[in-house]
Order: sequence, then structure tokens, then C-alpha cells
Amino acid sequence: MSLEELAFIVLAAVALFTAVAALLVRELVHTILWIAVFFVDISAIYFLLEAPFLGVLQLGVYAGAVTVLLLFGVMLTRKRIFSREAVTGLDAVPLSLAVVTFIFVVTAVGQLPQSSETLSVYDPTLLSQNLFGTNGPWLLLLGLLMMGAVAGSIYLVREGRE
Amino acid sequence: MTALPLVGFVALSSALFAVGLFGILTRRNFILVLIAIEIAMNAAILNFVYFGAFSNGTAGLTGQAVAVVLIGFAATEVAVGLAIVLALNRVKGTINVAQANELKL
Repeated sequence: MSLEELAFIVLAAVALFTAVAALLVRELVHTILWIAVFFVDISAIYFLLEAPFLGVLQLGVYAGAVTVLLLFGVMLTRKRIFSREAVTGLDAVPLSLAVVTFIFVVTAVGQLPQSSETLSVYDPTLLSQNLFGTNGPWLLLLGLLMMGAVAGSIYLVREGRE
Repeated sequence: MTALPLVGFVALSSALFAVGLFGILTRRNFILVLIAIEIAMNAAILNFVYFGAFSNGTAGLTGQAVAVVLIGFAATEVAVGLAIVLALNRVKGTINVAQANELKL
């Protein structure tokens, strides 16, 4: 087993563990700490996949901005931020639905090459050319979407309604 | 030259998606539902990156470009979701999704 494969197995295990832990712990602040670890771990997977730009973006947007946004959401919606959630048990129907979805998706594995494949390495310069050239319209659409989201968020939380 | 098994990545992202789906279906707190959506979203974005990385030519670049757009999309979605959380908290006094029973907040 090569060092990269070992790194992948460790990162995958950490990602799964933190995702499950984030959804099962009872204090919402602890959830956000676990999800921050999850985001950093996914960023490490991007670095492993030779996509350093995406890794940095994941760190900045997810581990930075989204985590802080979620923390603000918790702070603004409860009086004591360390109060506990009510227990929601492991219901059979959602659990079995998730397991069935996992099996359904993972059967695609049989169609894929089973051996280790060599990664393609791309220069970030080429990525920026692709992003702002060929895929430029998508980036513009994303900007429009963000503007709409800002307007919608302000509309939702505006003062003096009811 | 890095060589990695594609099968492992597919298994990882489908497992993460299943975890996210489970969270969306079972959690009652709106913020936890948002976090579960983020987990599923990250699993989906991961798909684009590794299928790009394991293919030849410019497909990998397109995969990374789509991933950049999707990361921005997911961040936008969290911002709007939290605005809904705050509006719900002000009107209903709780962020339990079971009590969000009308569209007019």
C-alpha cells in the first residue's frame, strides 16, 4: 500500500466519523465543531487529489465562512448556546432509506476500474483559464444567484413586518 | 505520480451522501438539517473533483471549475437557509422544522 492510499483511508475514515458525530452529538455547538473538522478534512482530500485551488477555496468558504455563519445562527436563535437538543432516536425508516440509497449508489463501483489509477495533475493557471473562459457564463450566473440570495435574505430578516 | 483507487472515492462520497440524507430526514432542528444538507452537498462536489482527476484531457479542469461554482452555490444556500432560520425563530419562537407549518413567515 502506498503512502497516498494510506492517507486516503485515514482521511476517508475521519470524514465519515466527523459527519456521523456532527449529526449525533446533542449540543449544537459541538455539532459545529465537528462539522468544521469535516470541512478541513474534505479540503485535505482535495489537496490529495492534486486540486490545491479547490482545497484553499474549501478552507476559506466552508471551514471559514460557513462555520462562522452557522455559529451565528446558533447564537442568534437561543438564549444559552450550550443548551442541549432533545434526543431524536435512530428511526428505522430514514435509516433504512439512507442504507438503501448507499447500496444503490455504491453498486456503481462494479462498473469502475478496481485498480489504483494515476491522477491527472493540472496547472492552476489552466484552471483559471477554464473557469473564466469556457465556463465564464456559469461564474456570471453564480454572481447573479448570489445577488438574488443577498436580496432575499435581507427581505426575510427585515424589520417592521407583521 | 500519485495513484489512488477510484472505487474508494465513490464509496466515500456515497457513504457521506447517505449520512447527509439520514440527517435531513431525522433531525428536527433547522440548523442541523442545514448541516446535513452541507454534508450531502460536499459528497456531491467531491464526485466532480475525483472523476475529473481520474480522467484525461481537459475533463479534470471542467470538473474543478464545476466544483468551484458548486462551492459558491452551497455557501449561498447556507446564507439563505440561515435567514429563513432567523425569520422562523422570530415568528414561531423556535427553529423546530416540525412547527414550520405555514409558508407565510
